[in-house]
Amino acid sequence: MLQCIFLLSDSGEVMLEKQLTGHRVDRSICDWFWDHVISQGDSLKSQPVIASPTHYLFQVVREGITFLACTQVEMPPLMGIEFLCRVSDVLSDYLGGLNEDVIKDNFVIVYELLDEMIDNGFPLTTEPNILREMIAPPNIVSKVLSVVTGNSSNVSDTLPGATGSCIPWRAADPKYANNEVYVDLVEEMDAVINRDGVLVKCEVYGEVRVNSHLSGLPDLTLSFANPSILDDVRFHPCVRFRPWESHQILSFVPPDGEFKLMSYRVKKLKSTPIYVKPQLSSDAGKCRVNVLVGIRNDHGKTIDSITLQFQLPPCILSADLTSNTGTVNILGNKTCSWSIGRIPKDKTPSLSGTLVLESELERLHVFPTFRVGFKIMGVALSGLQIDKLDLKTAPSRLYKGFRALTRAGEFEVRS
Amino acid sequence: MAPPAQSQRSQSPSQPSGKSEVSDLKLQLRQLAGSRAPGVDDSKRELFKKVISYMTIGIDVSSLFGEMVMCSATSDIVLKKMCYLYVGNYAKVNPDLALLTINFLQRDCHDEDPMIRGLALRSLCSLRVANLVEYLVGPLGSGLKDSNSYVRTVAVVGVLKLYHISASTCVDADFPSTLKHLMLNDPDTQIVANCLSALEEIWSAEASTSEEAAREREALISKPFIYYLLNRIKEFSEWAQCLVLELVTKYVPSDSSEIFDIMNLLEDRLQHANGAVVLATVKVFLQLTLSMTDVHQQVYERIKAPLLTLVSSGSPEQSYAVLSHLHLLVMRAPYVFSSDYKHFYCQYNEPSYVKRLKLEMLTAVANESNTYEIVTELCEYAANVDIPIARESIRAVGKIALQQYDVNAIVDRLLQFLEMEKDYVTAEALVLVKDLLRKYPQWSHDCIAVVGNISSKNVQEPKAKAALIWMLGEYSQDMQDAPYILESLVENWDEEHSAEVRLHLLTAVMKCFFKRPPETQSALGAALAAGIGDFHQDVHDRALFYYRILRYNVSVAERVVNPPKQAVSVFADTQSSEIKDRIFDEFNSLSVLYQKSSYMFTDKEHRGPLEFADELGNLSIGEAAHNVISSQRVEENDKDLLLTTAEKEETRGSSNNGSVYAVPYDSSTSVFASQTQIESAISNPTTAGHSQHASFGIDDLLGLGMPAVPDVASPPQLKLNTKAALDPNAFQQKWRQLPVALSQELSLSPQAVASLTVPQALLRHMQSHSIHCIASGGQSPNFKFFFFAQKYEEPSNYLVECIINTTSAKAQVKIKADDQRTSQAFSSLFELALSKFGTP
Repeated sequence: MLQCIFLLSDSGEVMLEKQLTGHRVDRSICDWFWDHVISQGDSLKSQPVIASPTHYLFQVVREGITFLACTQVEMPPLMGIEFLCRVSDVLSDYLGGLNEDVIKDNFVIVYELLDEMIDNGFPLTTEPNILREMIAPPNIVSKVLSVVTGNSSNVSDTLPGATGSCIPWRAADPKYANNEVYVDLVEEMDAVINRDGVLVKCEVYGEVRVNSHLSGLPDLTLSFANPSILDDVRFHPCVRFRPWESHQILSFVPPDGEFKLMSYRVKKLKSTPIYVKPQLSSDAGKCRVNVLVGIRNDHGKTIDSITLQFQLPPCILSADLTSNTGTVNILGNKTCSWSIGRIPKDKTPSLSGTLVLESELERLHVFPTFRVGFKIMGVALSGLQIDKLDLKTAPSRLYKGFRALTRAGEFEVRS
Repeated sequence: MAPPAQSQRSQSPSQPSGKSEVSDLKLQLRQLAGSRAPGVDDSKRELFKKVISYMTIGIDVSSLFGEMVMCSATSDIVLKKMCYLYVGNYAKVNPDLALLTINFLQRDCHDEDPMIRGLALRSLCSLRVANLVEYLVGPLGSGLKDSNSYVRTVAVVGVLKLYHISASTCVDADFPSTLKHLMLNDPDTQIVANCLSALEEIWSAEASTSEEAAREREALISKPFIYYLLNRIKEFSEWAQCLVLELVTKYVPSDSSEIFDIMNLLEDRLQHANGAVVLATVKVFLQLTLSMTDVHQQVYERIKAPLLTLVSSGSPEQSYAVLSHLHLLVMRAPYVFSSDYKHFYCQYNEPSYVKRLKLEMLTAVANESNTYEIVTELCEYAANVDIPIARESIRAVGKIALQQYDVNAIVDRLLQFLEMEKDYVTAEALVLVKDLLRKYPQWSHDCIAVVGNISSKNVQEPKAKAALIWMLGEYSQDMQDAPYILESLVENWDEEHSAEVRLHLLTAVMKCFFKRPPETQSALGAALAAGIGDFHQDVHDRALFYYRILRYNVSVAERVVNPPKQAVSVFADTQSSEIKDRIFDEFNSLSVLYQKSSYMFTDKEHRGPLEFADELGNLSIGEAAHNVISSQRVEENDKDLLLTTAEKEETRGSSNNGSVYAVPYDSSTSVFASQTQIESAISNPTTAGHSQHASFGIDDLLGLGMPAVPDVASPPQLKLNTKAALDPNAFQQKWRQLPVALSQELSLSPQAVASLTVPQALLRHMQSHSIHCIASGGQSPNFKFFFFAQKYEEPSNYLVECIINTTSAKAQVKIKADDQRTSQAFSSLFELALSKFGTP
């Protein structure tokens, strides 16, 4: 069980300390931890679970904030890690982002949240919907409200009804004049194209996101036209397993508001929407670069915000790169980013130029990896299609909406 | 608001002690304490916030305790929360002042708002001051009966807190049985889960003293209760599900249909969005089917997809934890994941700890069908910007090469690495080529052609340099200019900082000398001279020894230094299978991440020096190998051992159980090993390599005198050597060669059974009877030992396999002997020794 949670800033300062059990964990553990991180060179490089001389430490780094938890006993490691991830999610949700200032300004809320999320080292509830009912987020509305009414408490007066109900993710009986439910398919394409231009791996990770504003206890069913393409699925706790198992139908009572209904993976896709062809040839201390980008097969939808990023190898002294479309920037840390936007109809975007190598090097031995970004609205590249969404005992006015979006995830082209 | 404070701050800008601020706050709090003016809550809130923020940065604000408590009379819930937080933080150091807070906390426990009741109760229990426990019992009792589930949830955890402050108060108030009632009847599953975690802890702690508690703890894993939980599992919160699943792993179903029922019920948990739930379910599945081989394999297939999804869709931290578990699984069933190798391809952005695990996975899943793709992928990482990962991936290629039978393609790749002209790539590849040649001597022609082109000036890393020198010596007949390269290396003897390299250089020059004497002679002379004058003891010793043996007889020297070598068939695994099994039993725990069994690191004693825990490795065959190296040292260690824990003993052997890459000649221990062979070759050329002589040889060499202490315990007809020595490989070889001379079943005395809680107990006992252990393992009730003994002053060995089952109090003994005629005598000696085990 976790004994203590610390929040550290990106300079290693303890911003918050929450002791969870009777065994007080001394703050000096943070100094040890920070020395360890520095010895590793970078907090992102040190492992998520570390053994210190006195405790076992879980660490999760988000936006420069380190969430550190300590334990002295054996416990499931994912429980510690998952919990810290949830804490960071909930905090960034509550505070509208994570950074040092926002945590320091709102530390009382952070304390309150931690108080409800974990007691005596054991996680209680991390459902954002329920927490939201116990502790009101510090948003502008409540600030305005507090000014107007003079009641500046950010704690809601009532306890969440759901703590007692058998559907823990749903507050009892919300009422809406307009009943709406939106379903979004959001997909990310992960692909690896190797040095020879062969597509070694291409898969889509997708999420079905639902935003529901429905009165009462709505019972929804969502079905797909081609559920068989899904390789592995994970569900929100509200999804009933049996209908899925027998008919691949998602049957659920949704939480109120926005949530992730399910996530899935589609493996072994055969093609990518765009191609990137890097060519690097080096001799006599210089390296000529030429990169071509183009549309591979037309989905009928425009491909937006195409970007290309790569890290110049450390042995490169200077780079002179130009493109015929979009803009090229070389940042201080030798990251080169080329933003193309949309691909024009009349020409193929290309990036070309030369890199100057360190004086004693003849040829380049370390090759950059190109990371590609793009966005396609209105299409799910996995091919998954929503068939229909039904609501048992539909209210008189119900609005249903569907959207799809695909963007590049870890899309990398090696050279 | 506080100009005086600010002026203070400017005096010491770098180190604000906070003292003036604190006293300033104290003053302001006092002014507000009694005030009932409108808006006073807002100013209080500002002040409280300041106090808490000071507390958070680590400034001691405990001196404000009294004022804080005075101000706490308020209806504002945020103020209350801040106050609770403050009080909870400082009550322990101010037990007397904490008494002041009891009053208002107790009052809040009866507030009409359930939120306040809950919060107050939680804070009250979190004070953790021993002299206040009497005030806890009342509010807790009513809290457990509260109509609101939130308050009950808090109260249940409160009971556990109370138990840790004062166990007797908690038990006297009969809280455990109240919790039990709640656990079985409360409609709110969060309360059920909290009761479960509290009761598990309380009853486990009480079980040693109270029979009833022990019985209750047993009842938690009884069929009705487990089913009660399982049937409601979907109602539990995700974290509570982890708790329940953990409990289910301890449950032993009565028959296979029950096992299938449970698995059917839990199958959808594998689809849960929370990785912790998925992993806990996987553990249940694996544990339940442990004894059903076929189903166990199906389980691997079933859990594969969810685990792989967790790896690819979670955060890097989650991937890391899951990959560690996958690594454990893949060791047991490599074929299950062999078609999914692409999941373990590294992405550019991943942190290196994930990449490293993925490389290990790729190595583990490689088989005939996917090796080509995997090696192609790994080769791309060799050009990675991340140098440590580039190195690891080259090593991975080498590991795959060593575990495959068809290595054509891989050898080509490794040779390409050598031509890449990157120093670290060349260095790693050289080490690998050397290992590869030891396993596949048939590749020497192709490799040597490429290795010969590498300039030794471009190789700086000691390990790589040593490998290159080893190859120069070993294949000097095939490499035109080997003697000259070696000669130039000898010329630069003084600039070579690594003793390991110098040791290799000595041996390589020797080998080269035997093959091409005229060209090497001068280099050898120079090397021996430089070696004898070396300040490093091992180098000096080896040079001197070479010099002497050459003077004694050159052909003997050749037999010793450059005997025909057998290809290595399997390189030693770094982790014994027993450890792996034990870690497997601890699936879904930190052990898996550390790749160490939890008894090796969670024990309080070991928690201190963690560097030590890192060395803690493997209970394995190395145990006795240490004895071989230096009996003197073992005896000294033994004294320590008697004083320390049994675990510590196991650590000792591991240190010379090197990595896969360890070359037999590269550590100081192996210097001894080679010397033993050599010595015996001199003293008794006909039985060269025989280990008994070897051990005397060492003693002679080290000037320790003869180990001529007669064994008191042994009967007159057979005397055993008290300092017998046998290295594990020789043991294995003998064990395979010799027939079983005797096989019998012995009974153990009850005392013996009682003493045999860990294998080490018997080890020490048998050692006192001159019967040494070479390997041991197992857990109660099944233990397995391999012993050996040597006849006194005669090169005759006895090997024993002894399997002990403590529940039946029987030992299965198999004896093998060099000298079959005396095996009966040895058997009675062994029996005698075993029968004395456990008697004081």
